[in-house]
Amino acid sequence: MAGSNTSRSKSLRLSISALMVLGALMPIFADAGQARDRDPEWLAPAKHAARVNPLTTRVDAAAGGAKLFQQRCATCHGEDGNGTTKAPDLSQPSVQEQSDGALFWKISTGNTYQGMPTFSFLPELQRWQLVLHLRAIAAAHHSSD
Amino acid sequence: MRSGRVFTLLICCLAFLAGERSASAQERPYFVTYDHFLEEPHNLEIAVASTSGFPKAGRSSYTAPWLELEYGVAGWWTAELYAEGVATARDGAGFTGWRWENRFRPLKREHRVNPVFYVEYERINEASRIQKEIVGRGGLPFEQIAELRQDVAHELEGKLILSSVLSSWNVAGNMTVEKNLSEDEGLEFGYSVGISRSLGGLASGSTCHLCRENFALAVEAYGGLGTSRDSSLTGTRHYIAPVLAWHLTNQTLLKVSPGFGLTSASDRYLLRVGYSYEFSIARGR
Repeated sequence: MAGSNTSRSKSLRLSISALMVLGALMPIFADAGQARDRDPEWLAPAKHAARVNPLTTRVDAAAGGAKLFQQRCATCHGEDGNGTTKAPDLSQPSVQEQSDGALFWKISTGNTYQGMPTFSFLPELQRWQLVLHLRAIAAAHHSSD
Repeated sequence: MRSGRVFTLLICCLAFLAGERSASAQERPYFVTYDHFLEEPHNLEIAVASTSGFPKAGRSSYTAPWLELEYGVAGWWTAELYAEGVATARDGAGFTGWRWENRFRPLKREHRVNPVFYVEYERINEASRIQKEIVGRGGLPFEQIAELRQDVAHELEGKLILSSVLSSWNVAGNMTVEKNLSEDEGLEFGYSVGISRSLGGLASGSTCHLCRENFALAVEAYGGLGTSRDSSLTGTRHYIAPVLAWHLTNQTLLKVSPGFGLTSASDRYLLRVGYSYEFSIARGR
């Protein structure tokens, strides 16, 4: 019985130690969330960059893109898409000069080592809706200048 | 009981850290199978889930709840901590152990087939019944829980996860190898495969709870593949299980999965239910 209690308290101590290590490491992980330099190798292949957004004429799809952006992207890129310490401003020319197909490819494939998640789990039409919203961000940015 | 209090305290601390910052849940629509989508960097997901088993005649049904904390350490690394327990109809209840899991995605970009490496350390006892993976041979032991809890094992588990996106479908397969570090048992093998898809097409512009875009359907199959000392499949457990996943809100996901035992060593049915809540810890400024 005494042996069982000793073993139980040993395992409890081990469990608590593991939790404390997890807790101690979290701020370190959080600091790692700083925006990184642009990855010059992150370029959409030509055949993907040439793809055309099938929703360009679908005015009704834009609101869905805005909703998806708030759900999926705003945590890092900011609610208005103007960037945070975690991810870049999406209204800047280096982003907006890219084709719809290139933006779609980047949303789909991500760049996990730079902190950009892969969004290929979203249905394809929803990823195109996000591209529509990226264009709307630039338009809003210009109109506020 | 004391371990339960520690976890409650941990959750309260993490919820405080999180503040009001929301993050969208992208929890996989599987219970056992893993795909290549890792947790978003600096997002924390808290999940509670359970596996209820309805064994063949004469054995006591059980419910095995678990608590899961999943954290996106980096875009290529997700860590998870589990605490689990069990309650049975006639044989008692108790804490069954904890697990520390890490998944690493070695490739930067999306490919036709995306590999992920999985490493887990478990300190669980023989009463564990959450069945997050099934390996080796033989059915679950059905002695008294108090008795089973005396038999503690340290185990190391590795998985190779392969996952693809084909049109709107995700197809994933996992191969599992497990080593009990406390016993000289050789290696145990297992598998799981899953296919899933979101029911949504275009996202609607308004907030809705019952829209098709909030639902995903999946089917997964999993089971044991024998051991390094006996590779026959006799006495192995196998299940097939459809899954329904419902994004109740941006941050929360509810999953339900009835599983059907396919062999004589399997329980007749399993019922898995899970609820998860996800938020961002690191705040962008």
